[in-house]
Amino acid sequence: MRHRSRSLCLGHCALLAAAACGPPAQAYTVSISPGSPRAIYLQVGVGSFTGGNYNSGGQPANNPTINTVSVTVPTAAVGSGAAQAMASNTGATSSFLDGFAFCNTGELYVGGFYRLTSSGTGTATLTANSSTALNNGSGSTIPFTQITWVSSGNGDTGTQPFASGTFTGNASQSIGGISSNQWAESCMTFSYLNTAVRAAGTYTGQVTYTLTAP
Amino acid sequence: MRCAIASLLALVVAALLTALPAPVMAATYRVDDSATIPQEASATLRWRQFAPGRRTTDNTVEGGTTVQVRLNLAPWTQRNGRVFMVLPEQPLGRVTVRWTTQGRLLPGQLVSGQRALVYAGPILSPMLEETLALRIETDGTRLSSTHRLNFHFEIDVD
Repeated sequence: MRHRSRSLCLGHCALLAAAACGPPAQAYTVSISPGSPRAIYLQVGVGSFTGGNYNSGGQPANNPTINTVSVTVPTAAVGSGAAQAMASNTGATSSFLDGFAFCNTGELYVGGFYRLTSSGTGTATLTANSSTALNNGSGSTIPFTQITWVSSGNGDTGTQPFASGTFTGNASQSIGGISSNQWAESCMTFSYLNTAVRAAGTYTGQVTYTLTAP
Repeated sequence: MRCAIASLLALVVAALLTALPAPVMAATYRVDDSATIPQEASATLRWRQFAPGRRTTDNTVEGGTTVQVRLNLAPWTQRNGRVFMVLPEQPLGRVTVRWTTQGRLLPGQLVSGQRALVYAGPILSPMLEETLALRIETDGTRLSSTHRLNFHFEIDVD
């Protein structure tokens, strides 16, 4: 009988030991990875979003339109040194972020964003190529250094992401930057400096803006 | 006669001993989930907001995957227990996981560093199988490459 009791005790102890130890530790693994980790968007003048503004589900789309910023200088004012205000033909005054009327009529909207799955590791740089002067088709030119702009934005305070400036006539003039995971936008009001008498005619030229992500 | 009574008492004591169940200890155990299989090799997390905001930005990335969970509960059958899913603290920061089930386990959510109840009650079957549809979200600015989330299950036995 004593022997049987000992056997029972051993049986219980073995059961307890098994429960206390438990099964081997396991863990299931789910790998997660960033999808489309980088995204970049630039809008100069008019842009396109499909499905409405971004905050209502819209998505950026391509818009190849080249907008015009122009001024007609009165004959009496040619070369006077009095800056002549220029106006854009875009009509794009609202931000596609939320539809907010960020710019006013005649201003040029410049904005975009830069998405990156790491923090504080990069800034997308906006450059302008104004190296080819305006010309009137008859051999006369006006350098882009005659054109300046002031940056602003309705409701904005502080520094503009794309600061006021003057074209340098270079192929890669820095206009500003967009830090990672930020939406940046400014409204540019252009002026013709009008510091020299030019031959009569309509002068046209093109500035190309490029947003480059590191 | 006295010897016979003593023998009878010994028999009764022995019978009582065999009739008593083994002592039950309330404790937490790791559950063998080695048969659990994620149905996709990797869950791709995408920006909740494709573009950042003007002043404040939601940098959340989110995505989903399905996991075929198989829990070996054999050591605790016929006992009451509470099963928890656990996600340890993650080096990339806060990870939030929400899941739905087909009814055998509880739906719920947990944040890395926590555990969440997925079952409470008697353990009737040695193997518990369930399909979890996971929704995972974290800070996209810290998820620059593939990261492994090591989940596991625990059981609190009464």
